[in-house]
Amino acid sequence: MDSVSAWFKWLHQTSGIKLTIFYDRYDRSRFLEGLSTTLELSAIVIVLSLFFGAIVAWLYGTKYQWLRRCVGAYVQLFRNTPPLVQIYFFYFAIAPLLPKVGGAPLLGSMGWAIVALTLLETAFTAEIFRAGIEAVPKATIEAAKALGYSRAQIFRRVVFPLALRVTMPALNNNLVNLVKTTTLGYAIAVPELLYMSGQIWSEQVNVTEMMIVLLFTYIAIVGLINQLMQWFEKRLYVPGFGQ
Amino acid sequence: MQFTKPSVVKLLGLLAATALFSGTSAWAQVDTLASIKQKGKMVVGVKADYKPFGYVDPSGKVVGFEIDMANEIAKKLGVSIEVIPVVAANRMEFVKQGRTDLMIATMSYKPDRAEVVAIPEPFYYASAAALFAKKNSGLKAWTDLKGKTVCGIQGAYYNRRTGDEFGAKLLTFKGSTEALAALEAGNCVGMVFDSTFYAGLTGEAKWADYAIMLPLIDPEPWGMGLRKEDAKFAAFISDTLKEWHKTGFIIGLEKKWGISPSPYLVEQNAKFK
Amino acid sequence: MKRSPQSSRRAVSPSEFPDTLSVMLPFRLRPQVGTMDRSSGGGLFVWQTGVLLLAAFVGSVATAQVQAAASQASVWSLLLKWTPLLAQGFLFNLAISFMAMLLGTAAGIGLGLARVSLFAPVRGTSWLVVQFFRNAPWLVLLFFVMFLMPFEFKIGQHTIPFPDWIKSTIGLALPIMANIAEIVRGAVQSIPSAQWEAARSLAFSRRQILWQIILPQCIKRMLPSWMNWYAILTMATTLASIVGVSEVMTTVGHITAAEARTDFLIPIYSYVLLWFFLYCYPIACYTRRLESRFAER
Repeated sequence: MDSVSAWFKWLHQTSGIKLTIFYDRYDRSRFLEGLSTTLELSAIVIVLSLFFGAIVAWLYGTKYQWLRRCVGAYVQLFRNTPPLVQIYFFYFAIAPLLPKVGGAPLLGSMGWAIVALTLLETAFTAEIFRAGIEAVPKATIEAAKALGYSRAQIFRRVVFPLALRVTMPALNNNLVNLVKTTTLGYAIAVPELLYMSGQIWSEQVNVTEMMIVLLFTYIAIVGLINQLMQWFEKRLYVPGFGQ
Repeated sequence: MQFTKPSVVKLLGLLAATALFSGTSAWAQVDTLASIKQKGKMVVGVKADYKPFGYVDPSGKVVGFEIDMANEIAKKLGVSIEVIPVVAANRMEFVKQGRTDLMIATMSYKPDRAEVVAIPEPFYYASAAALFAKKNSGLKAWTDLKGKTVCGIQGAYYNRRTGDEFGAKLLTFKGSTEALAALEAGNCVGMVFDSTFYAGLTGEAKWADYAIMLPLIDPEPWGMGLRKEDAKFAAFISDTLKEWHKTGFIIGLEKKWGISPSPYLVEQNAKFK
Repeated sequence: MKRSPQSSRRAVSPSEFPDTLSVMLPFRLRPQVGTMDRSSGGGLFVWQTGVLLLAAFVGSVATAQVQAAASQASVWSLLLKWTPLLAQGFLFNLAISFMAMLLGTAAGIGLGLARVSLFAPVRGTSWLVVQFFRNAPWLVLLFFVMFLMPFEFKIGQHTIPFPDWIKSTIGLALPIMANIAEIVRGAVQSIPSAQWEAARSLAFSRRQILWQIILPQCIKRMLPSWMNWYAILTMATTLASIVGVSEVMTTVGHITAAEARTDFLIPIYSYVLLWFFLYCYPIACYTRRLESRFAER
């Protein structure tokens, strides 16, 4: 590590390229904190959205028409409005109206980012799951009914596992988009990667260098996610379907 | 997708490095004075949210202590003036890019800032870092901030010390308005900013419960900013500042804007008489 | 049960093959051009959704109205008062979206054709460019362009100013370019090779084949995805407010600062949400309709 930081210090002295995150402890810790917050935010939101998305997708099949309409309205609202405006709505419009706990607000910016992004991602995930559920042949469902499964059991044990496996590529795409959407947290001061980099470059005045590092970090994260999901897909393949 | 292959990532890096890092080359010599006289206009970057040094008056004009200084310089050069509001996060960038010819924006002198822009001496004001918090917050020393959320402004030189040495969690904003809004909402226990800023808040009812709670630290003088390669302009500004200290012009501005007398200016006045 | 001879060319639906023992049916989320993108909205609920949301908006304003003190102006009147300013900001967003879409589509078609080029270096470079701009967050790209492009161009004696909104338009056009390139590539590759072979046997040059035969057929296939990306771009224009461009969200910030009323916050943000919804949802519905129409060939 020392040789790395020494090399970057030398780079700064000779060429003026200032990459303080490699040789300055405080900047490096801030950058890594931002990176971990981005990954943490993505992980929490994806897990929550998978869970709620499955529930919403199940609600799509309910026999009550008003419930279906409400669920549909929710999904359409979050898919057809800007994510930034949604985040602002929660952070600037709803948050001031909630009671304070001991002088501090109930949910910090990270909390509201999780709320807003979860609602957004649930809408997208629900659509994906719905298409996946439709891809399960009726014959399979009828067979399960014939074996005495209740509607909830059919969903949990037959339909949903199959739907999950067939929707893997679309969910992968969704996850990549989520990681990119976490940058919107910058607008409400969530300490994620872009925000931390912004703090670093406004103090060190090394915008170009930080921008390039930032771009490559995001590309690296996306690449890692793709690799992970490919491994996942291999492990969860459906025998006799695809390759 | 094979774009995760290490060779591809390396290639990407090489491409970007050559494309982007090789782009910016510094200008050989910049003659701002000549270009100002040719344009007939000087572009100055000032603060617009820092009462009374630079703020927006009810008519929408940017006025203040520093704008008066800028006007005086423009008068000396015989050109008109264009004022661009800047914040701490972009004031040096704008000078570097040439978007502003001169920057008078409450910038404290710091050696690493002097590497980015030229800061001619003598300096024209001084302030220190102060923490503005509720009177009943119970904060007695800077180390009490450990683990607490503190609001700040992006680009201030004491953010590092507050976050690193004192262990506070910094919530930085682009401008003072957003930071004050966060302080009012209770998102942070206090706000760390220049000691001279809070003088502009006294008299406002909503800040009656707040005060500067901790002893001032890291006093630094303020300097103007201009492009590094511009020796002529720097010399001109330097001479102007010397003259101002001699004649007490800045002390006069202080009285005009109702700022409490600064011992720094008195000392500078005596030095240059 | 006999399968009709047309069935293999029609869109598949689960009820068509009641006795099939297929493991899974085709996963039909996106249009047939082979690109991974966020599909348009479900066409299950059409005008009822809009009515429900309008009702929700009206309900929120009414609640705010009830809570407002008698001496203050009513929330409805405030919304009406600020509507012209908001409309100006919203139109500016739409203008940015039109220009960015134009720029992005033009560049994207070029980049997409480069992706199917016969020269390996051209193919490789365009692949890199597409991957780079597709996988970078839009906000980071916006920051990139805002900070790193100069604020004015000097050509000889003339100085051309390069204002922030043009820079943000370019910043938004970059990811659009990459995504349109993928759509174009997918569409070009989905045209049957018979077309290429027939054209070659008629002595068309590659350029002629692409521009006169292949691309015109691709337009129909690309249209749903293209419209989908337009809707996404329109929603992304709000990001420009973060980098300092004065558009509808900046205006909302000014309005809330000027009014300084906590009961006005939810109505005004819902109002802006409603406007975006009323613009983007019809696009999504129409896109869905186009998709299903083109799928049944």
